[in-house]
Amino acid sequence: MAKFITIGERISTTAPAINKALTERDPEPILKRAKEQIAAGADYIDVNIGPAESDGEDLMKWAVQLIQGECDNIPLALDTSNMKAIEAGITVYNRSKGKPIVNSADAGDRVEYIDLAAANDAIVIALCSKGVVARDNDERMVFLQEMLERGMEKGMDAGEDMWFDPLFLVIKGMQDKQLDILEFIKSISEQGLKSTGGLSNNSNGMPKNIRPIMDSSLLAMAIMNGFTSAIVNPNDRRLMETIKCCDIIRNETIYADTFLDFLDK
Amino acid sequence: MAFKAATQKFGSSINAVELGVGDKKITLGGENVFPLYTFDDAIANSPKVGVELTDLGIDDTLPELKEFYAGCDTIADQAKKAATMEGADFLSLRFEGADPNGENKSTEDCVAIAKEVAAAVDLPIVICGCKNVEKDSELFSKIAEAVPDKNILFLACKEENYKNVGASVGLAYKQKVGAESAVDINLAKQLNVVLTQLGVNAGDIVCNVGSATAGYGFEYVVSTLDRIKSAALSQGDGDLQMPIMTPVASETYNVKESLASEEDAPEWGSREARAVEMEIVTATACIASGSNAVILKHPQSVATVSKFVKELM
Repeated sequence: MAKFITIGERISTTAPAINKALTERDPEPILKRAKEQIAAGADYIDVNIGPAESDGEDLMKWAVQLIQGECDNIPLALDTSNMKAIEAGITVYNRSKGKPIVNSADAGDRVEYIDLAAANDAIVIALCSKGVVARDNDERMVFLQEMLERGMEKGMDAGEDMWFDPLFLVIKGMQDKQLDILEFIKSISEQGLKSTGGLSNNSNGMPKNIRPIMDSSLLAMAIMNGFTSAIVNPNDRRLMETIKCCDIIRNETIYADTFLDFLDK
Repeated sequence: MAFKAATQKFGSSINAVELGVGDKKITLGGENVFPLYTFDDAIANSPKVGVELTDLGIDDTLPELKEFYAGCDTIADQAKKAATMEGADFLSLRFEGADPNGENKSTEDCVAIAKEVAAAVDLPIVICGCKNVEKDSELFSKIAEAVPDKNILFLACKEENYKNVGASVGLAYKQKVGAESAVDINLAKQLNVVLTQLGVNAGDIVCNVGSATAGYGFEYVVSTLDRIKSAALSQGDGDLQMPIMTPVASETYNVKESLASEEDAPEWGSREARAVEMEIVTATACIASGSNAVILKHPQSVATVSKFVKELM
C-alpha cells in the first residue's frame, strides 16, 4: 500500500473561466488554479482541454509547458478525447516528478488510449465501461480484464501503470448501486491493481453543503476497500482532511499534531 | 539462470547537512538507502563519530581516560587532545555545569569556554546544553552569536524552547539546529514541522530522537529509528528526512554496568572496560538502526566505532 494519491480536477474546460483562458492562451487563471490545488495537497493536476479538435496538439503542449514550468514539474494527467493532443503533450512533458497519466481509456472506442500509454511509458486511467456504464460487477470485471490483457500485451507494468476506474454513480438516482461500486473497488485491490475515479459524481445534484460530506464518507469507505487514488477537488477541505486522516489510520504517514496545518497555509 | 540481487534504493533521501567549516567539515546524511545498506547504493557520507567533552572536565574515575587527557588543564586543552583521537570526526561540548539546579555557571562563563574551544580546534563543534530549557535557550543564543562562522550544531531544542532556539540559532545566526525528542516518533516529526514553519530551513536541522543504553528499553530506540528511516525513505516523508545524531556517552555512563566499582562487582571485571563496551554496543546498534552520528567519550570507543563504520562502508 501507499499514500492515497489525489488528482486535482479543477483545470477543465467545463469551468467557463478555464475554457476561456485555454482558448485565449491566458496563463493567469490556469496557473492560479494549478497553484491552489498544489497548495492544498494535490499530487497530480488533471489538464482537461475538452475535445479540442482543431488545435488540441498546440493547446496541450502549451498547457503542459505552462503548468510544469511554473509549478516545479508537477506531474499531470492529460485529459482530452483528442488522442493526438495527448501524444503532443507527452512530447514536451517533464518526467522528473512522475510519469504522465493518460486520461482516459475504456474497453470500447477508447481502448487505443492504452496503446498510447504503453507506447509512451505513461500511466493510463482505464474506465471499466464500454461506451455505456456496465450493468453490474460481472460486466465491469469483463471490461477490466479486456483492458488488463491489452495493457499487458502492449508491455505495460499493469500493477503500477494501469489505474482502473469503477465509474462512480450518482446517488440521487442510483442509490442502490453504491455498494456494488465499493465491492468492485475491493476486487480491483484484491487483484493487486490500482484504482482511481471521479469521486464527486456520486454527489451530483446534491446541495453544496452536502457534497463534501457525502464525498468524504464515500471516499473513506472506498479507501477501506483498497481504493488507491481519486480525481477530486483538492480545495474541498473536508475531503482532503479525510484523505490525510485515512493515510494516518492506514499508517502510511507518521502522525504529528500538525499534520493538517498545511491546509491553512 | 544467474542470481541477480535486487537492490532497494529509494527515490527519497536523507538531507545532507554540513557541520563545521574548512578542511575538517563533515556532512551528515545524504543517503537514499537504509542504514549501512551499501549493497543497495553507495552511501556518500558514512556515519560520523564525535567526542564528548563537558565544561566540568574529564571524568577522573576512569584511569585510561584520565591518562589520555593527562596535562590538559583547560577545556580548550582537552579539546585539542580530543581532536587527536583516532576516528574523531567532531567534538561535542556539553555544558552540564550551566544547570541552575547544579553548578549554575553563568552564561558568560560558558560562552567564554565555547569561544576558547572554537579557537583551539578546527573540527566541527556540537554544543549540548544542560537540559534546563530556559538556560539552554539563553546559552545557545549567546554562543551562536559569539562564535559565528563555525557552522555549529546546537543539540538541541525541545518542544518547550524550539521557538527561541530556532529563531536565534537557526534564523538570526544561521547555525545548525538540533531537534530533540525522547523516543517519540510523533513528537520528532512535530518538532521538525514546527521548526520549518518557523522558517528554519529543513536542510539546517539535525535530530536527536532520543537514546537509551543497550539493555535499558533500547528496543524502543531501535524501533523509533527504524520507523523514521522507513518513513523518510519509503514514504518520502520530508518532515522526517533530517539526519539523526545520537548522544551515546551521556546515556551509557549512567547505568550500573558502567558505574559499579570493581569492589562491588568483582565478577564483572574492569569497570573501565565495561563502560567502554556499553558505549560501543549502544553506539554500533544506533548506527545500524539509523543514527548518522553518535557522540562518545572514551578514546577506545571512538576508535572502535569509527573502525566499525569504516569496515562496513
